[in-house]
Amino acid sequence: MRLTQAHRRLLVAGTNAQRTALRILETVARISGAQRLVRIGSAHVSGASYKLMGDAGLGFLEDFARDATVAVPTTVNPLGTDLAQWRDLGVPPEFAEKQDRIARAYVAMGVQPIFSCTPYLLGIRPKFGEHLAWAESNAVCFANSVLGARSNRESGPSALAAAVVGATPDYGLHTDRGRLPTVVVAVDTKPRGIDYSLIGLVAGERVGDGLPFFRGFRGNETDLKWLGAALASSGSCAMFHLEGVTPEARKARVKGLKSVRITRADLTAAKRAHTDGTEAEMIGLGSPQLSAEELQEVARKVERRPPRIPVWVFTSRVVRDANPEAVATVERTGGRVLADTCLEVTLLEHRFGTVATPSGKGAYYLPSLCKQKVIFDDLDTLLERYA
Amino acid sequence: MKIRGRGIVPGHAAGMAIVSHAPFSFVGGVDPRTGELLDQAGEPPHPRLQGRIFAFPGGKGSTVGSYLIYGLAKTGNGPAGIVNARTEAIVAVGATLAGIPLVDRVDVGGLRTGDRMTVDGDRGTVELPDIRATPVVSVVLRNRGRILVVRRSEDVGSFRGRWSAISGYLEGREDPRHRAVREVREETGLKGITFRATGPPLLARDDRTIYVIHPFLFDTPKRQVRLDWENVEHRWIRPEELDRFDTVPRLPDVVAAVLGRAPGSAA
Repeated sequence: MRLTQAHRRLLVAGTNAQRTALRILETVARISGAQRLVRIGSAHVSGASYKLMGDAGLGFLEDFARDATVAVPTTVNPLGTDLAQWRDLGVPPEFAEKQDRIARAYVAMGVQPIFSCTPYLLGIRPKFGEHLAWAESNAVCFANSVLGARSNRESGPSALAAAVVGATPDYGLHTDRGRLPTVVVAVDTKPRGIDYSLIGLVAGERVGDGLPFFRGFRGNETDLKWLGAALASSGSCAMFHLEGVTPEARKARVKGLKSVRITRADLTAAKRAHTDGTEAEMIGLGSPQLSAEELQEVARKVERRPPRIPVWVFTSRVVRDANPEAVATVERTGGRVLADTCLEVTLLEHRFGTVATPSGKGAYYLPSLCKQKVIFDDLDTLLERYA
Repeated sequence: MKIRGRGIVPGHAAGMAIVSHAPFSFVGGVDPRTGELLDQAGEPPHPRLQGRIFAFPGGKGSTVGSYLIYGLAKTGNGPAGIVNARTEAIVAVGATLAGIPLVDRVDVGGLRTGDRMTVDGDRGTVELPDIRATPVVSVVLRNRGRILVVRRSEDVGSFRGRWSAISGYLEGREDPRHRAVREVREETGLKGITFRATGPPLLARDDRTIYVIHPFLFDTPKRQVRLDWENVEHRWIRPEELDRFDTVPRLPDVVAAVLGRAPGSAA
């Protein structure tokens, strides 16, 4: 790989963290065949929940943070609990203490103290064509597909390295060729609500690491957020096109591509396949974190019909702080609004065995990451069932 | 012998090998405090990675594995070097953080736990001082979807009575493809064959010898075969029938490599 003079200088005269970061990027470039680095507008790093990172991750981050500083605006994925509410949630003190140390290590590197899986909802959105090094799969999928920005599915360490250097290896979704569709997915049913998650789950299973070109339906940004999150969970997709909707769909050539079809029966079967629980102990809303509008909608619904099991809403600190009334409503009806953490990376399993959720990504990961049983259905149905 | 791979993380290491033939996840696969391998067959204590050359096809599982490799190295419990068939970001980034030399594109199918080896991450080579390399060609001949297998006679030097593709030793600095064409002519009498594919060498182990197999695929216009003394019987079979035959080592992998499909998968 060819390095610029500035990067070559980093390898010799940089801090320990800068040299380590550049070596990580060189390794990734060697594996992927990238010939150069491309400058990035922002980074989003995964690997913040102590539940997943454990002592190995904590140890690395504390070492790395000694002399690491991010060179571009950087956000970080959700933590393993809401550090403002952990005592009320019954989180063990040792877990909270180590979680706090992970958060501090990141903040010491100069990242924004917001721990979110929806960096595209935090105010500053990537521009069309802007290069990014993002690691959270749903965020990568949204940025590529809906915004037309360019990011590979980075790993936690590679995104962190890119944040420190301000650049990432130029291959895959950074190139025009890497953004072409590889398979057409025709959906012949009109989706609403949870159907977007279901389309994502089914398509991800069928296309694996392909790049799907969807046709046959429309959707707004929120719909596509849920579709992309599910698609990136059951498949290793990092981008999709939707005919007539997403910004690069018009340029994409689909002639000669293999085509798969998704029917209403496929969606019904997928919903059944991801439900293995019988009686839920809580309703979990997140994965990815809810937007302000979604939080307000939840508040309206639980106010109208207070559920008999707790509703936990996961959102970003920004949204929680800006919506005190909605937060108060959810809490008044027995629920909680948690910030800086999210459904499948938070410590839930010590309290709840079965979780009901309308999130396709949540339904996909809860059984494996949290050893929980799942009831997967749309919010209205769940609120009716648990009224 | 010296195996040429691809250098991923620079540096040199020497040690005894621990070889795993399945993709490996560091999360759940190794005790982060001691470097002891978990989920192994047999009773504990299991082997420890410390100071060893760890050879496995590639990584899998959570990216936290990268941090785990770093943690092992920090406490002195990590492997001295890593050899992969196809490395990926989890292992490669972990080895980078830990400063563990890593070479990939090495067929770990030919390596054994206990082999002495050195890893050169700068040159991308792995050396096994106690092992002799014997380069051979293995030629899959294809006609209308069927491939030729031959049963080796009792007069040949190795793998007598086993089913094989057309094969032969490489001599000196001979071009493998040239040798492949010549072996086909000598062992089958077939002419007018067309080159279709080759691939990176596969390693077949026979005690202190590693056969370095250069795989080839040729199409032949005819099926009429005239065997020489090396083989006693021949069959034209569908590739998926191969598992019914008692074959020489790695033949299914050779066939899969040149036909571009996983061993055992249907056509």
